[in-house]
Amino acid sequence: MPLILEIVTPEARVYSDTIDSVVIPTASGEVGILPGHIPLLTQVENGELRVTKGNQTTLLAVSGGFAEIEGDRVHVLAEHAITEEKIDEKAVEEAMRRAEQQLKDAAHLDPQQYEHLQGLVRYSGVQLAVKRRRR
Amino acid sequence: MASTRDIRRRIKSVKNTRQITKAMELVAASKMKKAQQAALAGRPYAELMAHMLAALADRVEEAQHPFLVQREVKTRGILLVTTDKGLAGPLNANLFKLVAEIKTPVKYAVIGRKGAQFIARTHRNLLADFTVSDRVAFTEVKVVAEFMVKQYLDGAIDTVEILWPRFRNTLVQVPTLLPLLPLTSVHDVVDDLRSGAGQAAAAGRGLENQMIFEPGPGVVLDALLPLYVNREIYQQVLDAKASEHSARMVAMKTAKDNATNLLGDLTLEYNKARQAAITQEILEIAAAQFAS
Repeated sequence: MPLILEIVTPEARVYSDTIDSVVIPTASGEVGILPGHIPLLTQVENGELRVTKGNQTTLLAVSGGFAEIEGDRVHVLAEHAITEEKIDEKAVEEAMRRAEQQLKDAAHLDPQQYEHLQGLVRYSGVQLAVKRRRR
Repeated sequence: MASTRDIRRRIKSVKNTRQITKAMELVAASKMKKAQQAALAGRPYAELMAHMLAALADRVEEAQHPFLVQREVKTRGILLVTTDKGLAGPLNANLFKLVAEIKTPVKYAVIGRKGAQFIARTHRNLLADFTVSDRVAFTEVKVVAEFMVKQYLDGAIDTVEILWPRFRNTLVQVPTLLPLLPLTSVHDVVDDLRSGAGQAAAAGRGLENQMIFEPGPGVVLDALLPLYVNREIYQQVLDAKASEHSARMVAMKTAKDNATNLLGDLTLEYNKARQAAITQEILEIAAAQFAS
């Protein structure tokens, strides 16, 4: 019995397919989901999400959200999600550098901006890790 | 009667205006299409969120979360969503009319330059102003939403409401004021999300009772509710963008049509003036010949 995986963000439906298994980064460590998993609702952390279909593995970088497993359906509700091939390494590096630069003169940042930038740096890090994994 | 040269000059300028308004109409039309698609793309997310909240609703003590606590309203907090640029017909003016009607103490946060100017000009209480790009990214709105929530939790404002031009169709945009915080109950939130996603309120399924929550139902709810508020504001901003572009498209179309009419009238006047001049000249020549 295959699993149906759906990943949505507020901007779009990023991924929707029938798959064999998926590994989700959650607040309490990585969780591997196979068909027949018990119903579960869990918090998703920044990290890489591994989808296995046949003998092919797809990697996605996801950031903060929730995952719900119910029957043969897996729903992931993430703030951002991007598939490996869509990650533009240069652009991400650039964005990360800019954010880090701004973080350095943290004195005149308000806490919200600070948090926003830190989130950006973390998610950029995840994207880079996912992109470079295959090499 | 104006000289032919004056009329020719006017024709030229009206033609230019028509060209510009026509181009702006086309640009607005294509942006409108994109904005409408973006507004629809948020639906699956709303559906899923409703589903998760429904599963949670029966499992947790609701009243504990600060979003669900009703308190006395001293100062309302309103997020006003306007455009950055003008030439969008009565879109912003209609919003401002609604603002002018509010008499209770309010603090405003604004998206869009037009709104910020208005609030500053009328000496209302402005907390902050933001601008968002044309293709709104979730992160841009998240900053705004988190700012509002923070003000709410700090007690600077006692409600969070959003005022934006709701997109009814291309011709009609209705200024709408929607209260977001405090929430009445999780069940209401679920119903709200479902109606927004174009889905009938479905009865809870038996499976939800056996669901495991990690790390725990309370923690998940605490994290899910801010996400709900963020999403709700994001959706409304997308809606406002769709409204903006359709209002601009309609305004530009009217302007273009007016220019075309004016051009017709002016051309007629020009031809008349030209013919009058020619007739005059012939008469003069003929008169001169008779005289000699």
